[in-house]
Amino acid sequence: MSLSMEGIRPHYPDYSNAPMQRHFSPYADNGGSVVAIAGDDFVVIGADTRLSAGFSIYTRDQNKLFPLSKTTVLGCAGCWCDTLTLTRILTSRMQMYQQEHNKTMSTVACAQMLSTMLYYKRFFPYYISNVLVGLDNEGKGCVYSYDPIGHCEKATYKAGGSAGALLQPLLDNQIGLKNMEIIGDSKLTIEKATNIIKDVFISAAERDIYTGDSVIINIITKEGIKDDKFELRKD
Amino acid sequence: MFLTRSEYDRGVNTFSPEGRLFQVEYAIEAIKLGSTAIGISTSEGVVLAVEKRITSPLMEPTTIEKIVEVDKHIGCAVSGLMADSRTMIDRARIECQNHWFVYNENMSVESCAQAVSNLAIQFGDSDDDGAAMSRPFGVAILFAGIDEKGPQLYHMDPSGTFVQFDAKAIGSGSEGAQQSLQEVYHRSMTLAEATTSALTILKQVMEEKLNSSNVEVMTMTPDNFFHMFAKEQVEEVISKIS
Amino acid sequence: MSILGYNGGAMVAMKGDKCVSIAADKRFGIQAQTITCDFKKVFDMGPRLYVGLPGLATDVQTVMEKLRFRKNLYELKENRTMTPEVFGAMLSSMLYEKRFGPFFVEPVIAGLHPTTHEPFICNMDLIGCINQPDDFVVGGTASAQLYGMCEALWEPNLGPEDLFETTAQALINAFDRDAISGWGATVYIIEKDKVTVRDIKTRMD
Repeated sequence: MSLSMEGIRPHYPDYSNAPMQRHFSPYADNGGSVVAIAGDDFVVIGADTRLSAGFSIYTRDQNKLFPLSKTTVLGCAGCWCDTLTLTRILTSRMQMYQQEHNKTMSTVACAQMLSTMLYYKRFFPYYISNVLVGLDNEGKGCVYSYDPIGHCEKATYKAGGSAGALLQPLLDNQIGLKNMEIIGDSKLTIEKATNIIKDVFISAAERDIYTGDSVIINIITKEGIKDDKFELRKD
Repeated sequence: MFLTRSEYDRGVNTFSPEGRLFQVEYAIEAIKLGSTAIGISTSEGVVLAVEKRITSPLMEPTTIEKIVEVDKHIGCAVSGLMADSRTMIDRARIECQNHWFVYNENMSVESCAQAVSNLAIQFGDSDDDGAAMSRPFGVAILFAGIDEKGPQLYHMDPSGTFVQFDAKAIGSGSEGAQQSLQEVYHRSMTLAEATTSALTILKQVMEEKLNSSNVEVMTMTPDNFFHMFAKEQVEEVISKIS
Repeated sequence: MSILGYNGGAMVAMKGDKCVSIAADKRFGIQAQTITCDFKKVFDMGPRLYVGLPGLATDVQTVMEKLRFRKNLYELKENRTMTPEVFGAMLSSMLYEKRFGPFFVEPVIAGLHPTTHEPFICNMDLIGCINQPDDFVVGGTASAQLYGMCEALWEPNLGPEDLFETTAQALINAFDRDAISGWGATVYIIEKDKVTVRDIKTRMD
């Protein structure tokens, strides 16, 4: 008996003289999901409002959408402290560009700038899933998604954040019309895009504990940015 | 001269009691020794024409490069100290590439001039950013470019001041050339007209006889961007004016 | 990645109105390298009873053989067909026997009760913890994608044809977003008097 128990003594930190080891992690995963859908002359982006860490919820009402200009909005999910820093730097870069070049930064330019900004922290990255949306120079809706070190992909729809894996195939099916035999010629409207975003968030809130509470939606058209909000389950 | 400017024309850090920086003014004077360069901006594009001083028949004329490409959409003509101009053109090129790298778009002509201007005024005392330059650049630059505002021409002098022009001449023949430009320029000018006008004026102010090897001509258009004239093209224009 | 994702695979089972469905992809690979596109992961354990075994391919086949053996022995001894509930309990206890050296499979069971024809679905983790919801169960490396698809597409009381369409769309769109699942799919629709098996063409990349 004593032979087999040798060396696997349970460890009680209060009664131990062994040196204590502490670990510090510079990152936190605060969850959250972002979904964006682009149309011919508009783009819709939604993000849930739950801010959490592990099994605790910090707040049920945190906006994760950041309007950078009249035609550009950034959605962030992941490490919230990194999000705060990145978005503040972005806002100041937008202002500096405005003052240096006497024009507002286009969505396309902003997309490239975000990519380089993320890559400049290649070895200590901002731990964020970014989805940047806006109208391009022709007024067409566009979506750019990023990995934490600046890989940038242009798309027409994108799901990112903690429920990204759950939602992306659904968008493939419903917006990308993947694996559909009979395809109607119905054009994507703002109403349809908004409703799909609402539906996918309801699905995500069912299975992802880091997504829930409510969704804030930004609808970007040439007239400006319109806000919308709806409730999700809160458990 | 000695009385009025005594002691105040040495350092670039010291204003004279009349509020002048003589070294900068001297640098501007230095441009007037340089070869003549002319730029004309039209609605179709911008044309740059410069004279090349062939001081010896043994000289290889093509190695004198007074019109350079900064980016596809921006070209520059320089007059003054050519060695100084290299540094400024280098900066302009770097700034344009950096702008493309960060923003994935062409830098505007004004922003490019602004960036070079920032370099032009970095003379004076050295500071934390490293050693400063001992004197101002002895160069004037004409920026010809296409951006979202269309064809544009900017002029910059050694003080770093840059101004947009419809037509501008720099260098030794600039005074006469500028007068002629004012007479011939009109808003509805075509690019072909502008090219012949530029060479006609250049011919008037040049000491040497104008030919296809002692001038450089470049056009900047929305379709073809930076286009340096080949010898044959220059000859074609010269044949029209004589 | 864990050994559960060594070979890849995706699986889903859904409840419908007087019918159930179970579907799986057909890929067998070693990590990113695809070996075959006709690998069987769903096995019949009776006329209206199917088990799907996503996970480590070697354990898939071992567990399937063991299950068949135990089920046949039960039916010979007891002289009655095994109900899906009993089959689930048997599989669960069999997996828990190997609590500290488990089979790397996360089974999915779908079937109808032999006499009442009551629909039954369940899945369990690799040590036999049963989950028996009344909508759908998923398993394999594309489970996150499947949860998203099923949560949006599934609705109560689907007929056999609608259930097939729902199951197939959920599975295909889910595994198209998983690098190590896909390469064809098989869908089983289990009804009182018949079982329909359909092989589906999918994108092969």
